[in-house]
Amino acid sequence: MESSHSETRGRTPVKIVVAGGFGVGKTTFVGAISEIEPIRSEALITEASIDVDDLYESGTKTTTTVAMDFGRISLKHDLVLYLFGTPGQTRFHFMWNELARGAIGAVVLVDTRRIEDCFAAIDFFEKRQTPFVVAINTFDGTRVHGIEEVRNALQIDTRIPIMYCDARVRSEVQDALIAVVEHALDMATSEAATG
Amino acid sequence: MSVWDLPATRQGGRVVRPYVMTGGRTGFGAPAIALEAQVATTTHGLKMRHMFKWEAAEIIGWSREEKALIELSALLDVPIGVVRVLVADLRSHGAVTVSDPPAIDRSDSGYTDLLQKVLDGIKSL
Repeated sequence: MESSHSETRGRTPVKIVVAGGFGVGKTTFVGAISEIEPIRSEALITEASIDVDDLYESGTKTTTTVAMDFGRISLKHDLVLYLFGTPGQTRFHFMWNELARGAIGAVVLVDTRRIEDCFAAIDFFEKRQTPFVVAINTFDGTRVHGIEEVRNALQIDTRIPIMYCDARVRSEVQDALIAVVEHALDMATSEAATG
Repeated sequence: MSVWDLPATRQGGRVVRPYVMTGGRTGFGAPAIALEAQVATTTHGLKMRHMFKWEAAEIIGWSREEKALIELSALLDVPIGVVRVLVADLRSHGAVTVSDPPAIDRSDSGYTDLLQKVLDGIKSL
C-alpha cells in the first residue's frame, strides 16, 4: 500500500541565489533562463506583515520584487535547479538567511551606476562563505567600467570571478550560472584538499 | 503552461484566514522544510484525499507532479509558513513525500559529485 510511483521519484532540488540591489535586473536574469515564468511569491510578505508602500525609489522603475521571484530549470530527470531572486530593499534582508540556506552558490548582480547597492549582498555571502560570482549587468548595452576597476571598487578577493552579463540574454545568464558552480567546485576541491 | 494558472475559483477572495487552516500553528519549533524541497503525492495520499480539507486537499492534487514547497505557496496563494505546516501534516499521514535539498558539505566527495552533475546539466541546457 505504501509503495507508489511518486514515492520513488524524489528529484534532488538545488538552489542558486540571485542577489543585488533594488532594480538591478534579478527578475530579468531569472526569467532569461527559467523554464517557467518567474513567479513572484508575495506570500512571504503577507506572512511578515510588511507594508509595500515605497516602490518608487529607483530611477524610472515603478515596480519591484516586493517578496522574491523564483524560477526553475530541470537539469536531469532527477535533478532540478531553482533560482531565487532576493528582495532588493534593505528592509527585506531578514529573508536572505532563509534564501541562502542550502544554496550551492550565488550571483551578485551589479549595476555600475549604483555600485554601492550590491555591498550588502557581497558582505552577506562573504560572511556565510557562500560561493558567489559578481555579474556586471550590461542591460544598457554599455561596459562603462573595466572588470578590475569594479573589483577594486568592491574590494573583493581576486579568486572571486567577475564577468559582464546581459541579464536579458539566456546564454550570458547560463555562463554566469556555470561560473557560480565552477567556483563552488573550486572551493569544495580546495577545502577537501586542506581537510 | 496551464499548471501555473490558478483555478478560477481562487479569484473570488478568501473567506478562511490562512492560519485557520493550520489550527493557528505557524511551524515554529519543527525543522523548517526548505523552500525548494520537492513534495510528491503518494498513491496512499490520493486515496485519502477526501480526508483533507481546503489547501491540504489541493496540495495532494498539485503534487501528483512533484512541486517545490515555494511553488505550492505560489500556486495556492497562501503564506509559505502555512504550506510548511500543511505539508508536514500530510507527510506525517504518509500522503506526500518530501525530498530535501542535499546538505552543503564541501569536504564531502558526494557533494562535489553533485556540483559536477549540476555543472554538466547547466552546460547542456
